[in-house]
Amino acid sequence: MSSTDYVSPFDERRRVGEPLAPRPAAIAGLTVALLDINKRQSDVFLDRIEERLRADGARTFRLVKQIFSRAAEPQVIRRIADRGDLAVEGLAD
Amino acid sequence: MSTPASAPSFELPSVLGGSVALADLHAGGAAVLVFVSEECPTSAMTLRRLAPAVEPLRGAGVALVAVFEDPPELAARAARRARFSGTVLSEPAPYEVSRAYGLQTVPTTVLIDRDGAERERVVGWDRERLQELLARAAGGVGAELDVRLDGAAPQLKPGCAAKCAYDADTLALLARAGAQDELEEMFERGWSDGLPVIPPTRDRVEAMLGGLDGRQSLGPVPPAMGEATLERVAACAVLAGCRPEYFPVVVAAVEAVLDPAFNLGGQAVTTQPAGQLIVVNGPVAEAIGLNAGVGALGPGWRANMTIGRALRLVVSLTGGGFPGRLDRSTLGNPGKIGLCVAEDERGSPWEPLHVERGFEAGSSVVTVIGCDAPLSISDHRSRAPEELARVLGWAAAATWSPNWWPLGGTSVFVICPEHAQLFAQAGWSKRRLRNEIFEAVRRPAGELRWGETTPVVQRAADGEPIHKWERPEDIVLIVAGGEAGRYSAVLGPCLGMDAQIVSRRVRWRG
Repeated sequence: MSSTDYVSPFDERRRVGEPLAPRPAAIAGLTVALLDINKRQSDVFLDRIEERLRADGARTFRLVKQIFSRAAEPQVIRRIADRGDLAVEGLAD
Repeated sequence: MSTPASAPSFELPSVLGGSVALADLHAGGAAVLVFVSEECPTSAMTLRRLAPAVEPLRGAGVALVAVFEDPPELAARAARRARFSGTVLSEPAPYEVSRAYGLQTVPTTVLIDRDGAERERVVGWDRERLQELLARAAGGVGAELDVRLDGAAPQLKPGCAAKCAYDADTLALLARAGAQDELEEMFERGWSDGLPVIPPTRDRVEAMLGGLDGRQSLGPVPPAMGEATLERVAACAVLAGCRPEYFPVVVAAVEAVLDPAFNLGGQAVTTQPAGQLIVVNGPVAEAIGLNAGVGALGPGWRANMTIGRALRLVVSLTGGGFPGRLDRSTLGNPGKIGLCVAEDERGSPWEPLHVERGFEAGSSVVTVIGCDAPLSISDHRSRAPEELARVLGWAAAATWSPNWWPLGGTSVFVICPEHAQLFAQAGWSKRRLRNEIFEAVRRPAGELRWGETTPVVQRAADGEPIHKWERPEDIVLIVAGGEAGRYSAVLGPCLGMDAQIVSRRVRWRG
């Protein structure tokens, strides 16, 4: 039988998904961060989401990533964590 | 009622490493042992049909355990194929545990209670009795099992003879027949891009590393940020089919794509078709057999095909940028299997790419560029360099989109030797050709204002000329290809990534 001591190309630590944070039962009274990815029409999507969140009693605040194709800057993530209970990241195109 | 007899205790190797004792298995409340064998179809069916009960039982404190009369690697493979996520143990020959349990047949399912006593056993596949056994296992710990076993035919199926019941000669025959299919296993593990791979055994990976410390890391690979240890990069190079002498080029390419300026994270997840082109310059190319001549963009040359593929495996496996998962490319492109080309420095009339980028001529350098698929440009009739420059440039005019001017990114032109000679005979430098292509391809904004276009076009007056590129430097020129045939090519851009071209020196001792 051939050798079966293989070297994995995977980083197994990274293959275990992060657990989702608990979902709130309702959003009334919560603060929602709306992250604009800085691509065409991201704002159109977030405007509509914002309207609906506010109608349901949530507070909102907006942030914009520097460029859509890179991860959000650490200070943006920190602001979301400091001020927001929830976050919505808006798509585009 | 008589007291049930204690089940024979054991300690067997787990396929996850280490060993597991029977006492550990029933400590939570109960254990259901399913004795199986890799080559027995009834065992496979039973495991597959019991699999949905694993998690509910586990939640109630009942361990559902497969005990294979097989080596760990075969046990792991059979369990994986059955999607069985319970504990998987391996019993080596001469099968003393099976014998102690008096096994004649696999599968045999045995319920062990909290005190380690055998409560019940079912031989073969018997859906109704197994359903009852599982319900009793859950009931014994005060839980209710909310899982119905697959009710499709057959309801009853006899098993196969347990290996512990075989004589030595039959066992020897079985061992030969059961040798595992390594290539299929690579697919099952997900260690592939869809094509067969070379299994990355430790010996092969060590040979690939060539004495380098496999623990050394080149950094986290986007998008999932798996750590690119040299060992993992070497595993990808083995999987791809590289020879050890290619490894310095693979390492340099990985180093290059991990430069933040390259924005691999954006490239790896985009809906665009872009992949990563590797251009190799310098003496290493010829020394390891990289092709810069006929058929330079592939296929046919092991070094080209496997180096490009190794990089893509690092991105998609170690980095997690696998198509359809984190890689969201709408169509993809065949170049994403891997695309590696050497520049034909001897056939080129110009300074090679790495020299343009500031490296000395004799150095070996890898340059990575985010690129779309190659588009062939045929021209066998142009006699003036201006004519040919226009043909090449206008072929690129529709890349990305016919109306997306200026591109805001890079076009890579692979100039074939006959085209390069025409420019050389006219005394054109690379800079001259770049400028001529740049100047040749422009259109009035008014002609570009349909479908999707750029803000530059939207702002411009109708008659204002718009260039296809923002600047001549966005046109990258390399020379490669067969000596006969006037076919050059242009590779479209990867846009919106703020992605720079990155070069890295190859650490290679020629």
